[in-house]
Amino acid sequence: MTNIIRILALAAVLALALMLAVVAGDFGPWYFAWLVGTTMIVLISVAGAVLFETQHAAGDTPYEHSAPTET
Amino acid sequence: MINPTVVDLSRLQFALTALYHFLFVPLTLGMTFILASMETVYVITGKQIYKDMTQFWGKLFGINFAIGVATGLTMEFEFGTNWSMYSHFVGDVFGTPLAIEGLMAFFMESTFVGLMFFGWDRLSRGAHLAVTFLVALGSNLSALWILIANGFMQDPVGASFDPKTMRMQFRSFGALVFSPDAQAKFVHTTLAGFVTGAMFVMGVSAYYLLRKQHREFAARSFRMAALFGIISSLAVVTLGDALGRLDFLVQPTKLAAMEGIWHTSKPPYAPWKIFAIPDDKTQKDLFNVSIPYVLTPLVAHDFTSPIPGVDALEHSARAKVIKGIKAVVALKAYGTTRNPAALAAFRANESDMGYGFLAQRYAPDQDLSKITVQNLPSIVQKAARDTIPNVFVEFWSFRLMVLLGFVFVVVFAFCAYYSLRNELEKHPLLLKAATWAIPLPVLACEFGWITAENGRQPWTVFGWLPTFQSASSHDVGYMVFSLVGFAFLYSLFIAAELYLMFKFARLGPVQHLTQTPHAPAFVQPALGQPGFTDKSWADNSWQ
Repeated sequence: MTNIIRILALAAVLALALMLAVVAGDFGPWYFAWLVGTTMIVLISVAGAVLFETQHAAGDTPYEHSAPTET
Repeated sequence: MINPTVVDLSRLQFALTALYHFLFVPLTLGMTFILASMETVYVITGKQIYKDMTQFWGKLFGINFAIGVATGLTMEFEFGTNWSMYSHFVGDVFGTPLAIEGLMAFFMESTFVGLMFFGWDRLSRGAHLAVTFLVALGSNLSALWILIANGFMQDPVGASFDPKTMRMQFRSFGALVFSPDAQAKFVHTTLAGFVTGAMFVMGVSAYYLLRKQHREFAARSFRMAALFGIISSLAVVTLGDALGRLDFLVQPTKLAAMEGIWHTSKPPYAPWKIFAIPDDKTQKDLFNVSIPYVLTPLVAHDFTSPIPGVDALEHSARAKVIKGIKAVVALKAYGTTRNPAALAAFRANESDMGYGFLAQRYAPDQDLSKITVQNLPSIVQKAARDTIPNVFVEFWSFRLMVLLGFVFVVVFAFCAYYSLRNELEKHPLLLKAATWAIPLPVLACEFGWITAENGRQPWTVFGWLPTFQSASSHDVGYMVFSLVGFAFLYSLFIAAELYLMFKFARLGPVQHLTQTPHAPAFVQPALGQPGFTDKSWADNSWQ
């Protein structure tokens, strides 16, 4: 039952996102670009940090100390 | 007619408060999404250092946010106190986005800012991340509604003039919200904020790296800000191009002033001026360096559209002034007699009504009905010339903004490249450049504001209401007093901001951690609380 509710909730979010994309794409192409672009900027920045951790773990960064341990 | 000195002082006061306010806004817009990015990494990886980054940069954001809000509040009141004619004329339209901004975005922003700062040990990681994203969304939504209101001033859509009420009536909310000018301006402005935030984080991190302090903290912050900044700076340039094309289509006088185009040339010859000293009096350049065949494709995105120069625009404005005079005379007649013939005469010339208002100050006793065949040509010529904004100011504010925009792309590109290669500390000059570049995006934003608003002149609502008819009828003493008061108060705000920013940035994240009231709790049982489950606090080796 919980799974069904979760799937329905995610489906509702998906439908809402699609509706927003269609409306923004039709009437506000630059608003749509902002939504997509800002998400992309955040994700690229996050990816850069994750890459840093990978480089750090491989010893490719000039910092001697080990990174703080993960939770 | 309103005293021209009062109008000038009202303009000066609004420019002063807006420019002061705009020293804070871009950093807020950008920092919120950078904080959200940092916290996202914290939630994904569980590494404590990203939480520390979010909290430390969040503290600097908090200083800027608090002072920024204080400087912004007065501006909304200025519309009523100093621009009452404007507020009467477009209050129906302009008030709507301002009210939404206050009710929705501002409250949303303020509420979630509180949760962001004080909810670390009260919310789960996911919930706190959602709050941080909502702060980012709220602050940018505030900008959206203000820029929708500003978009109406640049390109008045979604409303029409009602001769019965003598004011603009709101017709379409959709047209107002989805106005192309508002859209492009929103994206351009928020992205400029992203650049400002990224440059700030990158510059302060570069300062730490140069001093070999907090290296792991700074390297991670630098990496995230550099990548955030490079995409944002490229997008700002793209949106700048889009806005330039919109100005070509909607506000050709602004474009002519921005590019210093005095004469219309046969396409695609139109030269793009790299450097010029425009002289508004003679409508010539005292000196210029230009490249032919560049401006047409750059602005019109084709090779066949003529780019109208000041000469052609003034010429076309003359016909509009004549129609505008007819519209205003008919409007006045309709206002007193309600004569359907007068209304019909007004409707026939309605679209150029604003140009009639422009001519009013040159008419005998400011009465358009007193214009004669003899004085008409001189009045029309003067009013048509008024339609061109100050070219020198527009040309140079635009040039400086664009120059800085490209400088940011270069700085971010090098910084991102060397950060990805982990070779930042081998290039101290680059780190110094990043540090010294911190104030430049704010400067570029100020130039951008001047370009947008000086280019709108002589109108408050483009093509409909001249600036000189928009102000309140205060006396000069009142305006001087309030202007000096604002300048003094806002200078204090700036001084407080700079003092606190320098103080906490210099202290760095170590002092931030030892000073924070939560610090002792990290090694105490509170570790088990939501948001404090990361035991790596015991290991501060990254400091």
